[in-house]
Amino acid sequence: MLEIKNLHVKIADEDAEILKGIDLVVPQGEVHAIMGPNGSGKSTLAYVIAGREDYEVTDGDILWNGNSILDMDPDERAAKGVFLAFQYPMEIPGVAGLTFLRTATNAVRKKRGQDELTTPQFMKLVKEKAASLNIDVDMLKRPVNVGFSGGEKKRSEILQMAMLDPSLCVLDETDSGLDIDALRIVSDGVNALRGPDRAMLVITHYQRLLNHIVPDKVHVLAHGKIRKSGGKELALELEKSGYAEFQKDAA
Amino acid sequence: MSVAVMKTKTETALVDGFGEIADTLPGGGSVKSARAAALARFAGNGLPHRRIEEWKYTDLKGLMKEALPVVVDGESKTTIADVIVAMGAIGRLEVPRFVLVNGHYRKELSNLDGLNGVSVAPFAQALSSDDAAAALELREEDRGSDAVLALNSAYATDGAVIDVASGSNVDAPLLVVHVRAGPTPRRSVGRNQIRVGEGAAITIVEMFVAVPGSAADGQMNTATEVQVGAGATVDHVKVTTDLGQVTHLANWLVDMHGNATYRAFQYTAGVGLARNQVRATFKGEGVKLDISGAFLARNSEHIDTTLFVDHAVPEGESRELFKGVLDDNARGIFQGKVVVRPDAQKTDGKQMAQALMLSETCEFDSKPELEIYADDVVCGHGSTSAAIDEDLLFYLRARGIPLDEARALLIQSFIGEAIEKVQHEGVREALMIEAEAWLAARSKTNK
Repeated sequence: MLEIKNLHVKIADEDAEILKGIDLVVPQGEVHAIMGPNGSGKSTLAYVIAGREDYEVTDGDILWNGNSILDMDPDERAAKGVFLAFQYPMEIPGVAGLTFLRTATNAVRKKRGQDELTTPQFMKLVKEKAASLNIDVDMLKRPVNVGFSGGEKKRSEILQMAMLDPSLCVLDETDSGLDIDALRIVSDGVNALRGPDRAMLVITHYQRLLNHIVPDKVHVLAHGKIRKSGGKELALELEKSGYAEFQKDAA
Repeated sequence: MSVAVMKTKTETALVDGFGEIADTLPGGGSVKSARAAALARFAGNGLPHRRIEEWKYTDLKGLMKEALPVVVDGESKTTIADVIVAMGAIGRLEVPRFVLVNGHYRKELSNLDGLNGVSVAPFAQALSSDDAAAALELREEDRGSDAVLALNSAYATDGAVIDVASGSNVDAPLLVVHVRAGPTPRRSVGRNQIRVGEGAAITIVEMFVAVPGSAADGQMNTATEVQVGAGATVDHVKVTTDLGQVTHLANWLVDMHGNATYRAFQYTAGVGLARNQVRATFKGEGVKLDISGAFLARNSEHIDTTLFVDHAVPEGESRELFKGVLDDNARGIFQGKVVVRPDAQKTDGKQMAQALMLSETCEFDSKPELEIYADDVVCGHGSTSAAIDEDLLFYLRARGIPLDEARALLIQSFIGEAIEKVQHEGVREALMIEAEAWLAARSKTNK
């Protein structure tokens, strides 16, 4: 279970608060969506959960399965099952996709006390997961994300997610830059990972993604706070009325 | 320049030491006088210093504290096993090799089987031929003021003379391995000549390595002249991993004829002081030139790459990509001079030099110099120096990769982009292994 308690966050070296007291609980087995206007703090929340160092938590806590993760390095969090699918996946020239996937997979397996995968085991797994995401394994021989289209980058993120077998998935604007077909493939990939042992936090600006990844709950984040929570129908309301209501009462 | 400068102890030793060994250097009367003339050229100018623009960042006069004795005959204890170990990852390739120990060819350590269409002979042997003085004489444009080349002509003991017959397509790379061995600090002076006939193709790898346990100190002055025939394709790789406080001075003098492809790659790591000069001249139209390299330096190592690319004729293409990883107090230097002569229309030139700075105290000096006298050309250059990208580091760590491993992977990826330029798969992979080993040694010492 993910529990976020009164979370206050600012950018290190700056004064302005971005998150101003977030309270949120995502139980195992549930998918929660966070929607909100640009600049509301959605991506900041995703980064802080993953452990990015540019942000400073000034108050509150983030608990994963009852333990605070705030003092953990990003790689420790990954080993504990936290996975962030980036809005803008990075290009890593010079590192082949397969090398990267294998290094990451075995790093988390090692920390989780599992055996590292041998090359044949790894290749079998990667081929299987890649096929379900419509990714050509030859593409993974190329440097990570270099020269990939927007859709390819997002599929590559979901492949990483599938390989690392996380228990908390945070998806940051996974729908941005995707056409309808790519959106369906990516959503199918995410849905395949839904399960009773996994919690998911899906961050999006648009309702569109939530037609494919149907959430158990929807939260509206604006000006650094959760302004409203509800069922999946809240997303549809927002699609009609927009975020104006939440932007008004911010002051 | 007519500024009178006092001779240093090193310069005096370089000049006076010549007389003591002149009689033992290979070559007859005409060679001896050519050597003496070269030494006189050196004596006139002395070692280059920082007031000479090309040597601004590498003040050899100040940096070269002594002149070690030249080895007049080869040291004989070195075994094939020593050579293989000294060669590192490339030693595992089973390919032809021409081995020199302390500047002298060693037939019993070499293996030239399976080379079709290629003749390889010791330079010392070439010096005993009828036109021997011509063999020693450098190109007109190189004879001038370069003190390091003058010293090379004066002292050169041996090297490889490689002739590739026109139309030969040589599969296996040919290694020319300069090995430093023995407990006594020595100076080696080598001269190689590569002549590739029309339409031929070959990969030649020059290596400068030391047998483990050799003296920490050593000096190398090496020059390689390359003639790339019309339509020929030459991949020329230089691997300098002579670990120690060595002073390594290298020159490549390259002529490229019509429609030739010449791809050069220079890997330098763990060398106390290195100066890699390349002078490449476009002699015919339609030539494609690619000079790339990777350099890795730590402690107080100093690695200088100085290029002089001369687009003397039209429709030439040149690409330069150099990448360096610098740590501790290391210093990296890149000087890339590209001249496009008035006739050299339709020249296409691109240059990039990049350094990854791992410490606060390392230094990278990058000096692109484009002199363009033609008006219908495309020429560009760029230079970057930066620390490891924090965004990339976070991306890797968010995927569970621990900090040290993530940093190593990113450094590898940075340097890998340059090493990718090496065409021969076995050599390329071996160089990647060398770079990884260098990085592994780094993370060990940082803990």
